[in-house]
Amino acid sequence: MSKQEKHKILMVSDFFYPNFGGVESHIYYLSQCLIKLGHKVVVMTHAYQNRSGVRYMTGGLKVYYVPWKPFLMQNTLPTFYGTLPIIRTILIQEKISLVHGHQAFSTLCHEALMHARTMGYKVVFTDHSLYGFGDVESIHMNKVLQFTLADVTQAICVSHTSKENTVLRSGLPPEKVFVIPNAVDTAMFKPVPERLSNHEIVIVVISRLVYRKGADLLVEVIPKVCRLHPNVRFIIGGDGPKRVRLEEMREKHSLQDRVGMLGAVPHAKVQSVLITGHIFLNSSLTEAFCIAILEAASCGLLTVSTRVGGVPEVLPDDMVVLAEPDPNDMVQAITKAIHILPQIDPQEMHTRMKTLYSWHDVARRTEIVYDCALRCSSQNLLERLSRYLPCGAWAGKLFCLVMIIDFLFWRLLQLWQPDSNIEVVPDIHLTNHPRDKKSQDSNMYDHLR
Amino acid sequence: MEASIGRRSSPTQPKWRKVAYGGMQPGFQDNHTDESFLEDMIMNASVVKRDLLKVMLDSVSISQYVCIVALVVLVWTYTLRSSFNENSLMLLDIILLGAGFFVFQLTAEMLSFDLLLSYVLKIFFFITGVYFLSPIYHTLTRSISSDSIWALTASLLVLHLFLHNYSGSTVKAPGALENPTFTSNISLNASIVASLLIASRLPSRLHVFAIVLFSLQVCLFAPLVSYCIKKCSFRLHLCFSFGLMAATLFFVYRLHGLLFVLLSGILVFVNLLGPYWLIRIQEYKFEINGPWDEAKLCFNLTE
Repeated sequence: MSKQEKHKILMVSDFFYPNFGGVESHIYYLSQCLIKLGHKVVVMTHAYQNRSGVRYMTGGLKVYYVPWKPFLMQNTLPTFYGTLPIIRTILIQEKISLVHGHQAFSTLCHEALMHARTMGYKVVFTDHSLYGFGDVESIHMNKVLQFTLADVTQAICVSHTSKENTVLRSGLPPEKVFVIPNAVDTAMFKPVPERLSNHEIVIVVISRLVYRKGADLLVEVIPKVCRLHPNVRFIIGGDGPKRVRLEEMREKHSLQDRVGMLGAVPHAKVQSVLITGHIFLNSSLTEAFCIAILEAASCGLLTVSTRVGGVPEVLPDDMVVLAEPDPNDMVQAITKAIHILPQIDPQEMHTRMKTLYSWHDVARRTEIVYDCALRCSSQNLLERLSRYLPCGAWAGKLFCLVMIIDFLFWRLLQLWQPDSNIEVVPDIHLTNHPRDKKSQDSNMYDHLR
Repeated sequence: MEASIGRRSSPTQPKWRKVAYGGMQPGFQDNHTDESFLEDMIMNASVVKRDLLKVMLDSVSISQYVCIVALVVLVWTYTLRSSFNENSLMLLDIILLGAGFFVFQLTAEMLSFDLLLSYVLKIFFFITGVYFLSPIYHTLTRSISSDSIWALTASLLVLHLFLHNYSGSTVKAPGALENPTFTSNISLNASIVASLLIASRLPSRLHVFAIVLFSLQVCLFAPLVSYCIKKCSFRLHLCFSFGLMAATLFFVYRLHGLLFVLLSGILVFVNLLGPYWLIRIQEYKFEINGPWDEAKLCFNLTE
């Protein structure tokens, strides 16, 4: 049943290289693996400092850094119709067949999906985060998401908990939502060849030191663990507003020689920090899917994590010890992890991770979603408008108005700059050298070295 | 669109598991929706079923405070019309101070001599301060027209009523549970500014002193006094509130007929219609909780 039809995909998000993070690496690795499967992928994002224009990355991945600067938390200014001309040009130039937007918090993604639907393209959306329902910003975010997902062709979530959350927030039928998790680049995250000695146990923490990632839990847990287990040492990598609290905790309990603070760790050095440890501690308060845990497991570390969001689904029970987000519970979990540490073999864990997660598998499953999306029937403007009306008594009519104006603006653009005037980019096929199996996964940092 | 493939009847079909590892689960599509979908969702966990009578009794404290503010505005009106002279105002101040202190004594523990002395000292400083500042208030708004003053005062009073903290006391009473909130501070400031604006329209310094003292006494200490009464006995609180409402309605009727209608309309709405409407719309409340919620820290952050 393998489809021979190759797609031309436009990935849109505010979050891409040169920033590093879950969404950024997801887009990059997925694009690379889709290119290996023979599809054409183009990425669109906003400009970063002086990085603006068209750039090419490994494998012929073309990236459009559209010349807008981010204005709030890495997002471009939402102008509703301002992005229509440039998106139309990119879609026609590259002969795109499908638009794939990432992350609910990205304004560029929402605008691109709206314009793509107006112009009749099929649209897929991937949600990477969990949101609540009670506070003001969540309510507004959910309304915006309801607007975008009212007319999306298919949706992807990164975990089953995330699927439940997205379905509740947006009112999508659950059959439209696919669950395709993230993966990890196991070629980059390798364990050390010789095992570390067990007489001093090193616990590694690498995360942004913010409230959401549970830095306050760390402040409570670390002194308790250091008191209980005299042979345990902590290494904390990462920076953020809560770093001051951790330093104060260090001073207060005189743990300077037992707690090492590394500051911000660049992504290329994360593996070298992870392999110095035995246990990886993750104390986030909310997490749709935690890639950090995968990276740690791929390096052969035993993980201790809080039982929040999608974390229980990520690793099998013998590779992770879960605890409630309560300091005493976490101390007990760390004690349990220290006891089962002698039975853990890092190399075996790494080999097992290679079978459990792979970006090629993610790309194949995403390809199935794309095939499904392209088989859906096209709808004209009136049928699509009827999907927006149930969004709310006032909101439904407002959304319809927005889409009608978008449609009119598109027609105006077509009159002013007809489709035939836009020059189409010829397909460039980079020759694929038959590589040996080891270096199958391309590395984001190849061109940094 | 592909429909999700249901479980086949073959016995070798593995069960669907809620896990993310291991690739696509054999026999199931990625958009398979299991029966356990949304089974961890909890709805309306912290919603309290409200009783109409209890809500009506609680709304009595709101109408009591509205009446207190109405009485204060009455005193201001009569003073501006020169119906009250400064001696009667000073008498009113002293009576209020004594009565308030008496009520406070009823509910607080036995005062030691030191505490009593400190209270007397603080009140003395307060009164002296207001006396020495009253010349400034007297000439504060001389260059502003009267219309602006009335409009500003009216809007400040409305703001004060809107943001007032009806459940507690703005001044932290001994034994009160929580600290004053941000909005209750704003409402207190609004009432103080309104009273200063009114005071600046009065003929003599002694008038200004008496009115400012009266207004500040009510703004600062009326919530405290009513909190003490409520704490002491609920029946006393109800009697006091109904007595106050009757007195206010009587005096406002003597002043102006339309204002009487307006005030009684507000009191009916707050006490009867408001609770009924609130309970009617409670049935639309829909609170969703589940494993996707951000975990709450069970300890307080000590900065």
